[in-house]
Amino acid sequence: MNEERQILQDSVNRLFSDRLGWDQLTAIEESGFPADLWEEVSEQGITKVIASEAAGGMAGSWADAYVVLHACGRHGVPLPVAETIICEWLARSADFVLPDAAIAGLLERPITAEALSDGTLQLSSEPVPWGRQATCLVGVTEGSSGSELVVADAAGLTIEPQDNIGRDPRDRLSGSAAVLARLPLALPADCVAWYGALARSAQIAGGGAACLDLALKFTGEREQFGRPLAAFQAIQHYLSDLAGTVCAVDAIAMAACHALDERGINGAERNARFEIAAAKCRASEAVEKLTRLSHQVHGAIGFTYEYGLHFTTRRLWSWRAEFGSAAHWGAHLGAVACQVGGNGIWGEITG
Amino acid sequence: MTSMADTLRFEPCSLPPELDDLRARVRAFLEQELATYSAVKRSHSWEAYDAEFSAKLGAQGWLGMTLPTEYGGHGRSALERYVVVEECLVAGAPTAFHWVADRQSGPLLVRYATEEQKHHIIPQITAGKACFAIGMSEPNSGSDLASLRTRAERTSNGWLVNGTKIWTSNAHRANYMIALFRTDPDPDKKHAALSQFLIDLKAVKGITPRTIQNLAGGRNFNEVAFVDVELPEDALIGTEGEGWRQVTEELAYERSGPERYLSCFFLLRKLIDVVKDTASPATLARIGAQVAWATTLRNMSLNIAARLNAGEAPVLAASIVKDLGCQFEQCLPGIAQELCELEPTLEGFGLEYQQVLGSMVQTAPSFSLRGGTPEIMRGIIAKGMGVR
Repeated sequence: MNEERQILQDSVNRLFSDRLGWDQLTAIEESGFPADLWEEVSEQGITKVIASEAAGGMAGSWADAYVVLHACGRHGVPLPVAETIICEWLARSADFVLPDAAIAGLLERPITAEALSDGTLQLSSEPVPWGRQATCLVGVTEGSSGSELVVADAAGLTIEPQDNIGRDPRDRLSGSAAVLARLPLALPADCVAWYGALARSAQIAGGGAACLDLALKFTGEREQFGRPLAAFQAIQHYLSDLAGTVCAVDAIAMAACHALDERGINGAERNARFEIAAAKCRASEAVEKLTRLSHQVHGAIGFTYEYGLHFTTRRLWSWRAEFGSAAHWGAHLGAVACQVGGNGIWGEITG
Repeated sequence: MTSMADTLRFEPCSLPPELDDLRARVRAFLEQELATYSAVKRSHSWEAYDAEFSAKLGAQGWLGMTLPTEYGGHGRSALERYVVVEECLVAGAPTAFHWVADRQSGPLLVRYATEEQKHHIIPQITAGKACFAIGMSEPNSGSDLASLRTRAERTSNGWLVNGTKIWTSNAHRANYMIALFRTDPDPDKKHAALSQFLIDLKAVKGITPRTIQNLAGGRNFNEVAFVDVELPEDALIGTEGEGWRQVTEELAYERSGPERYLSCFFLLRKLIDVVKDTASPATLARIGAQVAWATTLRNMSLNIAARLNAGEAPVLAASIVKDLGCQFEQCLPGIAQELCELEPTLEGFGLEYQQVLGSMVQTAPSFSLRGGTPEIMRGIIAKGMGVR
């Protein structure tokens, strides 16, 4: 990891670690959106890691963004950081600067041609993470000559509030939104699904890291039969299996960011879609083991609300399904495998 | 503040693009050479013994690649060797004859053997003409290797060896063995009393290998009796009493390679071909999940290759990849049977897929036994995290 990225990793983790202890996370679950923390995160430029310099961003790479996304997963950050990073990337890709001080709501699904007319965007129960906070909406549509970035005003929409089991807002929006901008976008119309899958993979890697750290700490301190739990071989093997599983998700999610930086997700030749699909497939599948083993070594205390393992594990259970399950992305890779056949699959893996 | 996951991290590594040409040449060579080999033989890959094939690979300059040119090696990078090794594994090339020599014995000899030994043996390894066996396990010393009892006693002009090794692959047909013996009878010096020896199996008397048939019918490994075996003075490799440390170094090579996740890849290839025209979405998802695993493990394996190439000894990382790789490859025969109704068959019956499945179903139990069990790997990982 280069030095700048290391500094970014340290500073982001320090901020979240200071601001998001279990007491604060509990308070946020009771009181709702932490506007002050969002302001602080925005001021520090964390959501602008990948935004263009014209937008006041760092114009970083996805490998840089990974560091932030991983930290969000690790600390159970109850803010739309991942979604904002994707919005900023879309804006940067279209040479557009999002409105100042806006909270951008990411439209997860591609916008259909029928939904756009006369300068308005018709929404019918569209999923938008943190939709209730959004001041503008960002999405991608299939235009007449390639895809387009669509930015719309979020004022006046009907909000169906809904939280995922991580207690993060997963709202649905309906109504007529005024279109603020439509710009040609050199990205495929389905790109949000891919960026979303990559972001959730990175968050799962971070969540897995938190599970591992809590499991190591708890089993090192808690004693039974006169010994720390970590002195028992059965527990050691759980911890090792947990560590390996975390490493694997981290490795493939980073590899996917690397591939995205190198090759993008466009074009017929070998692009980053293979690695992104592999990352989300592996990450989603890994959630089962990450949550099962970390809860198992904690015993009953880990099942309480008071002990904060659940701030991570409940999010992991949500992220597992969001932006495509292991089966969804597995089917994509399986289709590639069946297309190229047994003789061709290794060539796909080696690129 | 720092997460354990940051400490264990496998950063992405890419192979230099100039290796693409080497990869293409290796692929083309293997495609031609292996065209007439049976699918079952190919599925055995690094357990299939074929002196003729190894000599051909050697003639291409693809063995002993990392060994110094002054001894007849090729002085290439570990990454170049990595490309050759992974292409051989994926193609199902029969590499057992040269496998141990190329992977670990060559590098070990370069580090510890005498000049004379190096000049004599390294060219044989590079030519694909030297098969090495590794004498480690004993009847009463398996996972607890350091409890081994075979004795090497100093004599006036060398060493006298008595004892028994077991699970020694290819001892009945190898040219050389590198063995770990006890050189000091002091019971308090468990690890510090061990030393490594180089044995010329074609020249030394008193060594009797007895092949042990495995459950699949294969005859690769042996029980090897040493009765009053006289070894010359210079048979000692490295330093007396340093054998444990030397073996641990060697294990970094033994445990870190792509063979630790690719043993069953030939079966995955055959499975894809047999289901590809009729695969349901659920089958596609399952196949894709295995592809995702293989892609993940390759990225991790490449990271280790890069670290080895940089002169590091990533023992902890190698243990993690070996543990994960074993989980992946050992599950493949079972997954294949869930996705396809065709039963496993013996060689010569049914489709190629069925024969390969029959071979891998029977071989898979060994994946978690050879080169260190998952129980041992997880112990190393736990220790590496500061748990023990």
